[in-house]
Amino acid sequence: MISKRQIQKDQTRKELIEVAFKQFAAEGLSKTRTSDIASAAGVSHGTVFAHFATRDDLLIAVIDEFGKRVAGRIHELASGGGSVREVLQAHLNGLIEVEPFYMRLVSEGTILPSSAQSALITIQSAISIHLNQAADHEIAAGKIRNIPLHLLFNTWIGLIHYYLSNANLFAPGESVLKRYGTELLEHYLGLITITAVQAYDENG
Amino acid sequence: MKICIACGMPMEKKEEFAMGDMTKDYCIYCARPDGAMQSYDEKLAGMTEFVIKTQGFDGKVARNAAREMMAKLPAWQGR
Repeated sequence: MISKRQIQKDQTRKELIEVAFKQFAAEGLSKTRTSDIASAAGVSHGTVFAHFATRDDLLIAVIDEFGKRVAGRIHELASGGGSVREVLQAHLNGLIEVEPFYMRLVSEGTILPSSAQSALITIQSAISIHLNQAADHEIAAGKIRNIPLHLLFNTWIGLIHYYLSNANLFAPGESVLKRYGTELLEHYLGLITITAVQAYDENG
Repeated sequence: MKICIACGMPMEKKEEFAMGDMTKDYCIYCARPDGAMQSYDEKLAGMTEFVIKTQGFDGKVARNAAREMMAKLPAWQGR
């Protein structure tokens, strides 16, 4: 049986991750101090380190939590035979919910500690493979072009990241993905979809 | 919901488990054809390939990411 003490410990850990999620989004992944996270969570600085041995461990736990939120629904969709459109829409919806944090990952990704970068790489690979699961059916059905998986994913993520990293130009003071998500999704689907004319040209 | 101890994949459906056996702690992608769990070296090679296939990264970068991903998973503790 799980003890009361263990339940309390798990609860504090969850709260710290939740508070850190917000702090990292607001202050930046590199700038946020563990002492600020402790004050925002209403615990002592030492409590943070009782749960996470290092600041990097806390950051990785937050990135893992981000991954669960964004990739969870995509996993369900792709394994249930969802379409490319549905998978990408779920990706956008997931990112919109955590957009400020994701913007930090995009802008600070390359300067993060290697272990934190690897946590993000894991999440992106999971999203890419789910996109592939959905795309496989549509490639086989001749609906979308047979593009190598890494390019299928990188073309999509490249578009999203360009808009996010220039958020001040595209949507000052508001959500970039709420404003442009639909346009980007339709544009991307247009790029990968085989039109009736192309199918006719290829098949004669 | 179970999480594969060797690669971290969530496992819900029967076909996601090694040999379709829901009592197993590892997934179909971490099993050898005879159902045994892959070795560390086999999994590291597989995960590296997975990162390259899904994101197109440089081989060394992908291998390092795979090593760090695996370091967090229960199957590879103490390595």
